[in-house]
Amino acid sequence: MWRYTFKRLIQGIVTVWFIATATFFVMHFVPGDPLSDARATSEQIRKNLEARYGLDKPLAEQYYIYLKNIASGDLGISFTQQNREVNDIIREHFPVSAALGVLAVVFAALGGILWGALTALFRNRMPDIVIMFFVVLGVSVPSFVFAALGQLSLVTLNDWLGTSILPVAGWGSVQHLLVPSLVLGLGTMAFLTRLMRSSMLEVTGADYVRTARAKGLNATQIFIRHQLRNAILPVVTVLGPAIATITTGGFVVEIVFAIPGLGRFFVQSVQQLDYTVIMGTTVFYGGFLVFMVIAVDLVYGLIDPRVRVR
Amino acid sequence: MTRPLLEVEDLAVEFDTHGGTVKAVRGVSFSLQEGQTLAVVGESGCGKSVCVQSLVGLIPMPPGRITKGSARLHGEEILGYETLGGKRVRGQMIGMIFQDPMTSLNPTMRIGDQIAEPLCLHRGMRRRDARKRAIELLELSQVAEATKRARQYPFEFSGGMLQRVMIACALACEPRILIADEPTTALDVTIQAQILSLMRDLQQERRMSLILITHDLGVVAQMADEVVVMYAGKVVETGSSDDIFYSSGHPYTQGLKSAMPQNQDRRAQRLEPIAGSPPDLFDPPQGCGYFDRCPQAMRVCEQHHPPDVALGKPLHRCACWLHDERASDDD
Repeated sequence: MWRYTFKRLIQGIVTVWFIATATFFVMHFVPGDPLSDARATSEQIRKNLEARYGLDKPLAEQYYIYLKNIASGDLGISFTQQNREVNDIIREHFPVSAALGVLAVVFAALGGILWGALTALFRNRMPDIVIMFFVVLGVSVPSFVFAALGQLSLVTLNDWLGTSILPVAGWGSVQHLLVPSLVLGLGTMAFLTRLMRSSMLEVTGADYVRTARAKGLNATQIFIRHQLRNAILPVVTVLGPAIATITTGGFVVEIVFAIPGLGRFFVQSVQQLDYTVIMGTTVFYGGFLVFMVIAVDLVYGLIDPRVRVR
Repeated sequence: MTRPLLEVEDLAVEFDTHGGTVKAVRGVSFSLQEGQTLAVVGESGCGKSVCVQSLVGLIPMPPGRITKGSARLHGEEILGYETLGGKRVRGQMIGMIFQDPMTSLNPTMRIGDQIAEPLCLHRGMRRRDARKRAIELLELSQVAEATKRARQYPFEFSGGMLQRVMIACALACEPRILIADEPTTALDVTIQAQILSLMRDLQQERRMSLILITHDLGVVAQMADEVVVMYAGKVVETGSSDDIFYSSGHPYTQGLKSAMPQNQDRRAQRLEPIAGSPPDLFDPPQGCGYFDRCPQAMRVCEQHHPPDVALGKPLHRCACWLHDERASDDD
């Protein structure tokens, strides 16, 4: 088990290194640089600035310095925001995105499992048809539409009640978190519902379910003890990639709900070619996702003894 | 003669499918004596599994449907009832084991817990006691190192071992009847012999009745006291094991026998297959189901159902016109 974990971690570090390298070179091959805006018109000023940031050095050397800094945990200073360390940006804004993302994943996973199980239990009957209709909506409608709809319905609700039970936008309390994370998780929830439905249907016809019936268990006992755990397995498998989709997809929802998450910096930095922020956020996100996928794989063994590593 | 433990009378089961209604079981009657082994024999699709599984409510309904008949255990109706005298029919009065042990156990649950499950459920045993009992049951089923094995998962077992686990599971609540639905079909021959002898030992030890569903006449000869031969959803012949093997009355039973390899010089014996295939049960024939394939078919067989005729011995009965005086050879 420890050997396996260790191996996976090494693989993860290699993956992150690959992400860092690819990002570094792609970023530098894009025309322009962080200094090519109106303020640095004079040739001399430009030279001075390049020297100050080390951009006059050969690319290979920059790359070497960069890797060394990442390894020591220093992601550098932003080009566009004065004197702001990338580490500070992440420290300040990532917890916001993480809280949003984690809650969204929880909504998506619980919702997906619950709705999926329900549709399978009521196969081809009314609840199944209704839920599957919403699932198709959830899969095909983009999240900013749900975000706007969510806000609209909140405004209407608050207006109708005369008080504000849930804030429409902004950040600061748990109430601020609920609707955005639900919106963020909807697409994944729909996807997981479909997955759970098909795996539940498969499990329902399994021989061991018949054995459980032969033992005299009733439908509820069979569902809880025998079907659920086996049906969840495929859902858990895709949870790693699902976490990736949700955390990187958070940007749009963060913008619509005016949430100060990391997603905004991630996108803005690319537009402004803010080298250090691009590198910092990409490497950080990459590392986070790789770690989550490893964690999911390790957790999988807890549920399915067949893949447990000794 | 004492009252039978289980009496099944005129049982009929249908399935609604997209293509229409399949009449899988069309009026089956048999009885099972206390402590005896009853073998239900027939080819694939003849309704033997459906018939027996419907007794304990194991066929999915819908699409399945019991259209008529009754099944009485200790003289009381069990069809459509979950319990009998405060005891659950399934799992407590009647235990079951199935064809494929590799898929019949929950892959994500410890073996010991799967055996303990019915004990907690029907006997209200505490988990720890039930686990202890599960280990005893494993030992009873001759699983070596039971304590260690109880903590393992199905994928760590071989097929034969899993069938022993299934037996331990089915016997946990000491049922009066054990239904074994082709218990050895998925196992290789040496393991098959071990499982059969284990089942017989346990049956004698516990004075339990056994319903054995199989298409293997060798297994029947080894295990059965009484035999029910089924064809196209109906019983064609019943009798003691000796009646069936030495004085079989129905052409189908005779056909089955000549299609079975015997322990003789191979060159001397050729196996004779039964030509043709069973009738379509979407639209079962009006007369005898075996008419199309029967070498001794008469005109009456096509139009009229054969009567159930007693053949000398007390339990030996056969549904065939050949044994009816009304049908003469020139018919």
